[in-house]
Amino acid sequence: MDLAPTICTQALTRRFGELIAVDGIDLRVAPGQFFGFLGPNGAGKSTTIKMLTGLLAPSSGRIEILGLDLNAHPMEVKRQIGVVPEGMALFGRLTGAEFLSFAGRMYGLDGMTAAKRAAELLEFMQLADQPKKLVTDYSHGMQKKLALAAAVIHGPKVLFLDEPFEGVDAIAAGTLKSMLQGMIARGATIFLTSHVLDIVERLCSHVAIIHQGRLVAQGSLEELRAGVEALKPAGSADASRVSGEKLTLEELFLRIVGGTHRAEQELSWLG
Amino acid sequence: MTTSIRGGQFTAIADLRLRMFLNSLRSKRGKMELASRLLITLVFVVGGIGGFTVATGFAWYFVSQNNAEYMALLLWPIFFFWQLFPVMSTAFTNNPDSADLLRFPLTYRSYFLIRLAYGFFDPASALGTVALTGILLGTTIARPLLFPWALLVLFTFALFNLVLMQTVFTWLERWLAQRRTREIMAVLFILAMFSFQLIGPLIGRFGRTPHPQLRRTIQVGTQVQAVLPPGLAANAIAQTSHAQFLVGFTALLFLGALTLGIAALLHLRLRAQFRGENLSEAAARPALAQVQVLQMGWNLPGLPPSVTAVYEKEMRYIARSGPMLLTLFMPILMLLIFRLGPMNSLRHSSLLSRTPDMAFPGAAAYAILVLTNLVFNSFGGDGGGIQFFYASPVSFRQIVLAKNMAHGSILIANTAFAWIAASYLYGAPHLAVSVATLAGLLFATPLNFTAGNLLSIYAPKKRDFSTFGRQNASQTTVLASFGMQILIVGSGVAVFTIARLYGNLWIATLLFLALAAITIPLYLFVLCRLDHIALQRRETLVAELCRA
Repeated sequence: MDLAPTICTQALTRRFGELIAVDGIDLRVAPGQFFGFLGPNGAGKSTTIKMLTGLLAPSSGRIEILGLDLNAHPMEVKRQIGVVPEGMALFGRLTGAEFLSFAGRMYGLDGMTAAKRAAELLEFMQLADQPKKLVTDYSHGMQKKLALAAAVIHGPKVLFLDEPFEGVDAIAAGTLKSMLQGMIARGATIFLTSHVLDIVERLCSHVAIIHQGRLVAQGSLEELRAGVEALKPAGSADASRVSGEKLTLEELFLRIVGGTHRAEQELSWLG
Repeated sequence: MTTSIRGGQFTAIADLRLRMFLNSLRSKRGKMELASRLLITLVFVVGGIGGFTVATGFAWYFVSQNNAEYMALLLWPIFFFWQLFPVMSTAFTNNPDSADLLRFPLTYRSYFLIRLAYGFFDPASALGTVALTGILLGTTIARPLLFPWALLVLFTFALFNLVLMQTVFTWLERWLAQRRTREIMAVLFILAMFSFQLIGPLIGRFGRTPHPQLRRTIQVGTQVQAVLPPGLAANAIAQTSHAQFLVGFTALLFLGALTLGIAALLHLRLRAQFRGENLSEAAARPALAQVQVLQMGWNLPGLPPSVTAVYEKEMRYIARSGPMLLTLFMPILMLLIFRLGPMNSLRHSSLLSRTPDMAFPGAAAYAILVLTNLVFNSFGGDGGGIQFFYASPVSFRQIVLAKNMAHGSILIANTAFAWIAASYLYGAPHLAVSVATLAGLLFATPLNFTAGNLLSIYAPKKRDFSTFGRQNASQTTVLASFGMQILIVGSGVAVFTIARLYGNLWIATLLFLALAAITIPLYLFVLCRLDHIALQRRETLVAELCRA
């Protein structure tokens, strides 16, 4: 049975003056998928995630989240999603507990439930040690964990994460990963952008790749590998690759977006 | 580092500021900012011309009358203006955080000079320099031969003011960065304000009858001021004009030594910054494990949790901002100033002695005025948190309403305190005045909030309520809020004047209620439109407030 997509876009476009940052993309993310949205710098990842979460208006196209048109029902959609945007969206002059309690009530939880969940989340994220510390004095990794905690306090069905692992150490990343995997196990859908392809490969079941504003690949990792292999000319075996070994996501990514290593030929004055 | 590299760095920084300015003109908002800035600059220019003319005239008169010592009467006000204006009105200062430059291979010397250069472009420095130029011109017209000496003395005095201003800012920043020192500073500031105001009553008390101690105090005061910078500068010029070259030279030498001493204090601060000092509060506290208790949010009966949450957040932000709290106490302080100061009601010539009933309306009007920073840039303190508001399932109408409620609570508290203070200091205001004032607030508050809400969305400016100075507000907001305050105070004065003309203060209540019947629906109308406006403006708002 083909389930209705949790996230669905049709010809989603965003222009900034002459520049087309996102050019008519059609995304399909099924329920329960851990979906990685990849692309080189400036490809349109953050613009897309901002449009999907209502932080940016599309120039044209349609967005449906959980079957609801985001433009027509923004409040209903926002109630069911969680967001960790690029700048983390924190309130620096609150303590961690105050911020989470605030976030919970903003998503409609009553004071007691918000307080209880805030305490649980702080404990889980190992942020409970210094309850009087202001968010502005948190380290970058602590802020990332707090931002994620605020995004999930209301138990969202869909979670949007823009670069959740950027600037996060291995211990904090481990905590974040275990929480996200727990959510997937309980049926939530996660849409994340990341430059850390290794993490995406281990976490995500499906990926989409955006390049110069256009969606150039979408599907499960196996589907992407098959697509790349099919494009390879017959008999052009990769000498560095052991026969039967799967392409890594990084290799897939470089082949799809056509990355090159130019530094050896250029910038000879470096070093 | 070679001179050419240093020169290249200075040029690059100057170019950076020019580029930032030019790039800001690409947006409509940037052009509006420029227009507002030009208008504000015009006001400063008028002030500058006035100061220049007065300084030229008086300097010419003092020198030509062979009384150049009286030049201290000009130099003291310039000194106070130069030092106090930047502290009192940070909205006009334009000093980007030069600490951001530390990532580049700048020498300490370059860093020091750049900080001084930023200070030089402050309006207070510009106006102070213009006034000093006026003194130089007046002196030169009166005694052309004094020109080179006066130039040297006034230049040293300008340098002293420039260095002192930067020193005060950097040390205040250091002290206000941590909660404990911030509290001490707040108490010291309030005590200083009180002690200034005691000068009036003391003069009043001792001045009524000839008092030998007063004469002695004035004599000592005159001698003391002569060894302080403005007095030294005046003396250096005066003594030279009397052919007392050695005394004049010694005065200049002292002024130079004081400048160097203050520069050494500035050096201590800048050196610490240059070495990567961290002023975070976290560093000041030991990282002891603390017991976590369940953090229950506030509960305001009858209000949705989201509105209560934003209200609580606003109140916590304000409570944690030392500078903001200080501002909010100002109406009560102003009443005390009027009561104790030179315009106190004991004096028959004072305004409030003739109309003591106006103390409460005046304080209430001032209570609205001190909220300007909060009301007209209500998202400024949220920074990146603005994204949270956009991502959350709460309408902007509710968010802004909660913010207005927080600001309104402060206004109510300030008004109540003002009534108590006015009653205590001037006697209980007449019932008609009290009711009229409350009716006036019913008219003025919605109007102020309406304009503030619109400007908060149309001309936002990121602001850190925890730091002192170095944050310039949007010039459009400065101008618009200034216009709004004039409108509100002007309307209030007009209404009370009409009521007094008819000899019945209840007329003021009726007039204010009639005006409120216009402003309250206007507030509600704009509040209802805010969701739409905020959605339209979301990119500008997010871009401005999420700026690093």
